[in-house]
Parts: sequence; structure tokens; C-alpha cells
Amino acid sequence: MNPDRLPSRPPARRRPPVLRLGPVALPVGPRSLLWCALTLAAVAGAAVATLALGDLGISPARIPAVVAGAGEGTEAFVFDRLRGPRLAVALGAGAALGLSGALFQSVTRNPLGSPDVIGLGAGAGAGAAFVALVLPGTVPVPLGALAGAFLAMLVVYTATGTGLRHPGRLIVAGIGVAAMAQAFTHFVVSVMARDQAGVLSAYINGSLNARSWEHAAIVWAAVSAAVPLLLYLSGPVAVNEMGDELADALGAAAGRTRTLAVVLSVLLSAAAVAVAGPIAFVALTAPQIARRLSGAPGPNLALSALVGALLLVAADLAVQHLPIGEGLPVGIFTLAFGGVYLGYLLVREWRKGVL
Amino acid sequence: MKTRTVPGRARPARAALVLGAGGAALAGAVLLSLVAGGRPTTPLEVWQALAGGADAYTTTVVESRIPRTVMGIVAGAALALAGTLMQGVTRNPLADPGLLGVNAGAAAAVVTATALLGPTSVAATVWWALPGALAAGLAAYAVGSRGGDGGMVRLILAGAVVSAVLTAYVQAVALSMPEVFDSYRYWVVGSLAGRGYDVVLSVLPVIAAGVALALLVMGGLNALALGEEAAVATGANTTWTRTAGLVAATLLAAGATAAAGPIAFVGLAVPHIVRALAGVDFRAQVPFSLLVGPTLLLVADVLGRTVVRPTELMVGVVTAFVGSPVLLYVVRRMREAP
Repeated sequence: MNPDRLPSRPPARRRPPVLRLGPVALPVGPRSLLWCALTLAAVAGAAVATLALGDLGISPARIPAVVAGAGEGTEAFVFDRLRGPRLAVALGAGAALGLSGALFQSVTRNPLGSPDVIGLGAGAGAGAAFVALVLPGTVPVPLGALAGAFLAMLVVYTATGTGLRHPGRLIVAGIGVAAMAQAFTHFVVSVMARDQAGVLSAYINGSLNARSWEHAAIVWAAVSAAVPLLLYLSGPVAVNEMGDELADALGAAAGRTRTLAVVLSVLLSAAAVAVAGPIAFVALTAPQIARRLSGAPGPNLALSALVGALLLVAADLAVQHLPIGEGLPVGIFTLAFGGVYLGYLLVREWRKGVL
Repeated sequence: MKTRTVPGRARPARAALVLGAGGAALAGAVLLSLVAGGRPTTPLEVWQALAGGADAYTTTVVESRIPRTVMGIVAGAALALAGTLMQGVTRNPLADPGLLGVNAGAAAAVVTATALLGPTSVAATVWWALPGALAAGLAAYAVGSRGGDGGMVRLILAGAVVSAVLTAYVQAVALSMPEVFDSYRYWVVGSLAGRGYDVVLSVLPVIAAGVALALLVMGGLNALALGEEAAVATGANTTWTRTAGLVAATLLAAGATAAAGPIAFVGLAVPHIVRALAGVDFRAQVPFSLLVGPTLLLVADVLGRTVVRPTELMVGVVTAFVGSPVLLYVVRRMREAP
């Protein structure tokens, strides 16, 4: 690591305030808190818009009542069957992806890292394709996607020979597994009947169409279960960013932290994939945005989760209401948006001469 | 790095031996490609058919295999050489011709053409895919190389951006128009089947230009392998080598992709084989990759034709499933600080 890049602090500066929860201590910067609050407000705004816009929209004044279960007729139907589950899944999957990407990028020290890079999304696609082609109707497609994602991770894990500790090996093995999975998916899509292939193709891009409350329950359960682990990991992970040797010297066991963080990151991504299909770029961009907003070192977990949720809800809103997005899977929108954002990031950093 | 530290020093005897073996392997692969298929033939029958002495049926069978064999030779050579150039220029063993967005560009052009004009023949697709692939590759290069200090990270990221945006466009068009989706899903697998001589001929000038440019820069790549500073110190023009190498790689990859669709892994895996067999001298690597690429692609195509008879696996599926395990094996041998 370049010593010039290490954050240098004037000695007189006050230490940031620390949040203590039993054995866990987290530094909390005022700027991070401010941005967390702003992002949370934006998420709430996007959520209200999701429920309120369009022909079947619930009027904003009625939303608290409807959410509390006092809705009538159309309102209740729209909330319970159409938009409520969709919104809940978008929020949960977005938060899961944001957390997943933040953990992965932090421990691999690679700003382009996310579980997608090591073949999770491609494996999920291949699993979905396999189930749709070989066992049509007997096994739900999301289950196939989940199995595919885990199989891909298992192959990556075995192929590296050293588990999940070495980021370089992880990413190369991921490229190989992703290519294989993608070839299989393309093959299945090319031999299937056209209509089936179209449905499968939409799912593989990541879609929030026709979600139910069960989907929302799955992803929210995963996110809630991850919270204690995240609290436990956030300290060691932040130390890890300073380099393996320093982390080991401080007693943070760099290898073990990385393995745990990657496993947790993969599980969170898999939960999102199971309910929404492989959605591109949210896991990649959310931590990047969070890092720039907060200006703080470390994985910025809370802010990344909020930004992830905001991105996915906003993208879904766009897909539902923009004339060009109509009926398309939300994953295509995040892919385009993510690509443009990545391009903007590059140009900006070139101007500054950082990259 | 082996004990030799100066890559420029060629060993003619070994180079000749390796090239001879590569040539023999290619000849064997060509023969295999003519012999194997849905209706197996013997080498003798193939000879008779080519010499004009076989029955009409056998002659037809063998002749039907000639265009795809020629296609395999051209596409395999182009992809392998493109990969060798990309890895040489970027000095990154994971560089791949698709890195600059060539595949996504070709796909976007094919989808646009189908959307505007309706389903077209493979031969007509080429005239869309070729400019699309070239434009995407050059756009990524133009964006990624601004500033000109040779930042390869920029280039790779620019390629990723171009690919992401174009892929989103392709998916959006394909999913909203069923008839476009229908032809796109066949194209995207990558296959040598159904490509006549007209397809080969239409991409041949582009590929030939790429090969010629590659032959011009291969000496410069040796200097580049020493590292930027050492290369400049030896008096090499690194900017010219990099630019010409990347342009040649784009031409080659665009030509192959336009003709055969995106074929995975040939461009990534062949340079590794070439380096292991022919050494680090690019003046040996370039000609050798022109032999190894076609050999591998033809063998993959033969596998695809024979393992699931009577149907066929497209060659793009076979190369991915053969190439990935190779990559996974390479991963285990990667050195990394513990």
C-alpha cells in the first residue's frame, strides 16, 4: 500500500465518537450519521412513491393506515398482493446486496469486487436454467437458482485450493466458473421453446415482477440474521483494510476474518438472488457510493445497506413508470445505470489523476 | 520467470521444433474435423471424396464439413492471436479479447439489425456485427487510453463500462421483442455451423490486417514485457507497440466474433499454452498461437459434433467447458503472498 494514501490526521483532532454495544465498539462519524439519515429519508420517499404512483396508487395520506392493515377494497389488494411484497423484496434484496458488496470489497481490497465477480450470479442463472429445462414444473426456479449459486461457490472454493483467503485466486477461479455457467445458460436458452426461454431470460436478468410476501420474508430473515454477525465483523474487517500483516499484529487474524466475511457476503447475495434473481451492479456500486458519501474508512456497512436499498427501489420505480422500462426486468436497468455510474466514476478519478 | 532474463534471445532449433509440432497438430485437427460428425467417415473416404472418387453421398457429407473447418481455422487463429496480443500488451495473464467490449458491441449491432430489418441470414449479420464490434472496441480504447500514460487499469475498466451498457441495451431490446430474442439466443452461443465461404471471406480482410499488424509489433512486445521503464530505457516506442497491439487485437477479435459469434476462452487459454510451449519470445508466440488456436477450436468443434450425437453442441459451449477447468487448474498454481 502506498504510504502517501493512508489517511493522515493532524494529531490535535478529536477521536470520533464510539458506539458501544456490549463487546462491540463502532466508531460513528457525524458525517456518516447525517448521510445515513438522508439516505433513509430518500428510501422512505422512494417507497412512498412506489406505493402511490400510477393508476392503482394508494394516496399518500392513506398509506400509514393501509400498511397497518386498515386498508379497504382496492387499496388493500394493491398493497397486499401487488406493490407491498414487491417493495419489501426490493428493500430487503437491495440492503442485502449493499451489505454483501461492502463486505466483499473491503476484505478483498478490490473496489470492483462483489460476489457476482466470483460467479455467484452466473451460477444462479445456470441453476435456474437447469431446473427450467430438465425439471420443468417440479422444482421452483428460485430454488434452482439458489442451488446453482451454492454449487458455483463450492467449485470456486475447491478450485482455489486455499479456501476463500486469497482474493486473487478467488477472482480468477470465479471468472472460470462464471464462464462455464454462462455458456450453459446460453445453451439452455438456445434449445428451449421460445416463450419459456423468454421467461427464463427475464428471470436471469434479475426481476421483481410478481413477488409474494414469502419472498420478502426470506430476504428479510437473511438480513436480520446477518446483523449480529455484521456487528461482530465490522471491527476486524475495518482493521483488515490496513493490510494483513498489520491486522495480524493487532490480533485481528486477517485470514479468518476474510473467510468469514466472504462467506457472509455470499450468503447475503444468495438470499437476494433467491428472491429476485441475479441483479447486476447493486452490490458493486452501493458500497462505492456509500464510501464517497461518508468519507470514512472501513466498510461503511449501514450506509451501504441503505444505499443498496435506495438503488434497487429507485430502479424498480423507474422500470415501472418510465415509458422505455415498461415490463423489463429491473436487472437490466441496474446494469445500464451501474455501467454509466462506473464510467462517471472513472472519468472523475482520471480528472483527479488518482487512477 | 525462468532462468533466462532476456526474452529477446530466440532459440531457433527449439522454435522450429515447436512450430513443426504445432503444424502437425493442426493438420491432424483439420483431418479430424473432416472425418468426424453425424455420419462418421474414414480418412480414406475423405481422401477419395476430395480427389473426386467417392460416391455422391460421401462427397456431399465431406464437402459440407469444409466450410466450417475453414471457419474454425480462421476464427481460432484470430481469437488466439488476439488473446496473445492482449495479454502481451496489458501484461496481464487474464486479459481476454472480449475485455474491450468487442463481444458486447457485436451483440448490440446484431440485435439492432434484427430489430430494424427482421431476422436475417448469418452472412448478412456479419456486416452488422463487424462494425459494431470494431466500434465498441475502439470506443473503449479511446476512452480508456486518454492521457496516454499507459494505464491498463483504465482500459480494462473502460471495456467493462462499454460492455455493461451495451449488454443492458441488448437485453432490453431482446426481451421486449420476441422475434429479436429468438435469433439472438442462437447467435450468442457461438458456433461454426452454417457459416459458408461468404462469411469467411467477408471477415478475412479484417483478420488479415490484424495478423499483419501483429507481425509488425511482436518485436516491440518483447521490449514491453520488460516493464514500462526498462522498455523505454532500451529505446522502444512503447506507445506505438501498445496502440498497434490493441488495434490488432480488436480487429482480430471483431472479425472472429462477427463470423462465429462470441466464443469463450480460446483467447484466454491459448496464450497460456503457447507460453508454456514456445517460451516468452513473442516472435515465437505469435506464429505459434496461429497454429494452436485453430487446433483447439477444431478439436472443440469435433467434440461438440460427436459427444451428443445426433444433435450438436455449439462450439462456444464446448470451449467454455473445456477451457474453464484449465483455468481452475492454473489458479491452483498461482503464487500469492499468504
